[in-house]
Amino acid sequence: MNETQKTYTRFEIGRRIEHILLIASFTTLALTGLPQKFSTVGVSDFIIRVFGGITNIRVVHHTAAVVFMLEAVYHLVVIGYKLFVLQLRPSMLPGTKDVRDAIQAFAYNLGLTKQPPRMGRYTFQEKLEYWALVWGLVVMAFTGFMLWNPIATTSVLPGVVIPAAKAAHGWEAVLAVLALLIWHTYNVHIKHFNQSIWTGKLTRKEMEEEHPLELEEIEKASQIDQRENALAEKRRKIYFPLAAVISFAFLFGIYKFVTLEVTAITTVPPAERAPVIQVQTPTPLPTEEPTPTSSAPATGANLTWTDVIGPLFQQKCGACHGQAGGLNLTDYAAALKGSTKGPVIIPGNVDGSPLVALQAAGGHPGQLSAEELNLVKNWILAGAPQ
Amino acid sequence: MTGIKFSSFKPHWLILALVLGGALILGLVLAWPERADASQPSSGSLAPGSAPQLTNADCLLCHSKPGFNVPLADGEKLPLTIDPTQYGASVHGSKNMSCTTCHVDITEFPHPKRTAESLREYAVQMRDTCKTCHNEQYQLTMDSVHQKAFESGNQQAPTCADCHNPHTQGRITDAKTGQILPAARLNIPQVCARCHNAIYNEYKESVHGAALIDANNTDVPTCIDCHGVHRIPNPTTPAFRINSPQICSKCHTDKALMSKYGISTDVLRTYVADFHGTTATLFQKLSPDQPTNTPVCFDCHGVHNITRVDDPVNGLQLKQNLLATCQKCHPNAGTNFPTAWMGHYIADPKRTPLVYYVQLFYKILIPLVLGGMVLFVASDVYRRLKDRRKGGSQA
Repeated sequence: MNETQKTYTRFEIGRRIEHILLIASFTTLALTGLPQKFSTVGVSDFIIRVFGGITNIRVVHHTAAVVFMLEAVYHLVVIGYKLFVLQLRPSMLPGTKDVRDAIQAFAYNLGLTKQPPRMGRYTFQEKLEYWALVWGLVVMAFTGFMLWNPIATTSVLPGVVIPAAKAAHGWEAVLAVLALLIWHTYNVHIKHFNQSIWTGKLTRKEMEEEHPLELEEIEKASQIDQRENALAEKRRKIYFPLAAVISFAFLFGIYKFVTLEVTAITTVPPAERAPVIQVQTPTPLPTEEPTPTSSAPATGANLTWTDVIGPLFQQKCGACHGQAGGLNLTDYAAALKGSTKGPVIIPGNVDGSPLVALQAAGGHPGQLSAEELNLVKNWILAGAPQ
Repeated sequence: MTGIKFSSFKPHWLILALVLGGALILGLVLAWPERADASQPSSGSLAPGSAPQLTNADCLLCHSKPGFNVPLADGEKLPLTIDPTQYGASVHGSKNMSCTTCHVDITEFPHPKRTAESLREYAVQMRDTCKTCHNEQYQLTMDSVHQKAFESGNQQAPTCADCHNPHTQGRITDAKTGQILPAARLNIPQVCARCHNAIYNEYKESVHGAALIDANNTDVPTCIDCHGVHRIPNPTTPAFRINSPQICSKCHTDKALMSKYGISTDVLRTYVADFHGTTATLFQKLSPDQPTNTPVCFDCHGVHNITRVDDPVNGLQLKQNLLATCQKCHPNAGTNFPTAWMGHYIADPKRTPLVYYVQLFYKILIPLVLGGMVLFVASDVYRRLKDRRKGGSQA
């Protein structure tokens, strides 16, 4: 096998699965979160519609957040295992060398130094991305918790932390997505397409270019210390129960994160509580309220035209049978004279008086009540006195 | 041949014909002057069978009598009095519109028999009358909540005349500009109050209603500014609810109008930028008919009983009032919770320093981080392009 074609394992299967989980949750979070932050932008409408509306997209966002946090817990347990049980060097920890490497790389790019920096298992670019992700995770988890549980949060903290958390959550998302687009895309996809996160391997050539120090170490550490293995077994026995407790605590935390509070009612708040229809009394009519009508005159008055019948006719009949009509019932003489067709009131003869017959039939526009008609009948019977 | 033969003509037939003919002529002669008296100068004829040209004066002969009414089958009295002065002052009267323009069934006296058995039935029978001249408004009402109530069998649902008494209605809009006249604006709530009295009682105590009713201020919204005229939508639908911030913002984002009262025009922008407003806006855009409990303006500020935020009793600026408002939807909210709402203010270092400095932090951090990244990537691209050119020329 050619030396340059020899491959080196960079990522075991577990790390590769973690990466897939990260892609899935991070992309979903960005895709479902940013349209909420920039909800007035046209494309946001489209994305939110695709996810089935604002209520649904929030459920998806929350679900992706839970996946992201579970992945973080798993990662923590794996790191613990590697550092404590396997006693591996914390190769991801940043140091002053990384700052020097970055400066040197920049200077080399500008042609100010002849040599590019020689870097180990993780280059300063990779460390920057990793720790940016950790920072992002912490910020997003804390602020996300506050936004998810504002009542619980404000039971201990002042209210202003909620809008502050919202600002941080949104802008941190913008920073994370843009940084990923610039830094990750360039370093892993454009500079050269690094497939190790899928294949798990790097070629010797790639190792030489990007991780020369790691390559040196791999070649030096040829023989494995058997004693070390025995010790590792002992540490494993300590670590597993410890990891179980820690992961259980974290899982409980995530469970609480999701279920801590019912923030708002699920019903629509009532709008107007006052009765919608409450008619004013008295109800104004489409036409003017008639002047109050007094029906039968006070008892005891003389049953004469002047006292009773005249005012009654004036009120009930006068509107039509006044001065202008064919029959005038507003004046004693005219009333007894009758209409153009003849007398309507025949004194002493109730049954022979056309007025009584017409009123008894009912349905006349100026209809007298039964009581009023009786008065008229009695008046006629009495000889229709003036 | 059955023709009458002169030889068979009997003299008593001739006498009868002469008597009848004479009586007819006599009757006409006697009757004529009396009829001329009755018809007054306007000279419309009340006689049945003659040309049915009733003038207003003819109608007012009877219908100007005070207290003139006719009992209906259910015992109610149909008022029949028209006050000529009042009618003359109305928009219809001022245009000398004749009674029979609307009362088309009245062509003679006696009038045709009424079929309405109650006042309401009479009003319902007259429903379509206004369409003849006011078709545009009539068609608008066809989409209204009132029309829907009527169609669902509610006879009490208002018809045109319930709001606009055709005998007394004055001008509503300016003839030139089409704008509603101030006097008409002041009257609007009184009209709606006839049926919506409980709501009117809330409105008249509100910041808007008090200004209109107590101070004759026509800048404030009346019923129709929020509910529309004629095409009045059902205000209890999810769509009305979710669109309602647009109603409030019509005035509350109007800088000229708000500056008169020193009211901020940022209210809509700050609402939309916050969690509630963002959600409401998205519901409005994507699914306006879906019920949502996201608060709109009136959930916090009141529906008809809107008060000033600095009202000494009910104002939302008072902490306990704001908390009670939050608790309507967030029953478990504690005393710190209300300050999670920035009160329509933009983050500033005095009022909400934490929010302000978080924003400032990211305003600095984002360009710094991204700028640094871009700078480094650019240098790397530069180096690689230079190397490639060098490599290419060497090859």
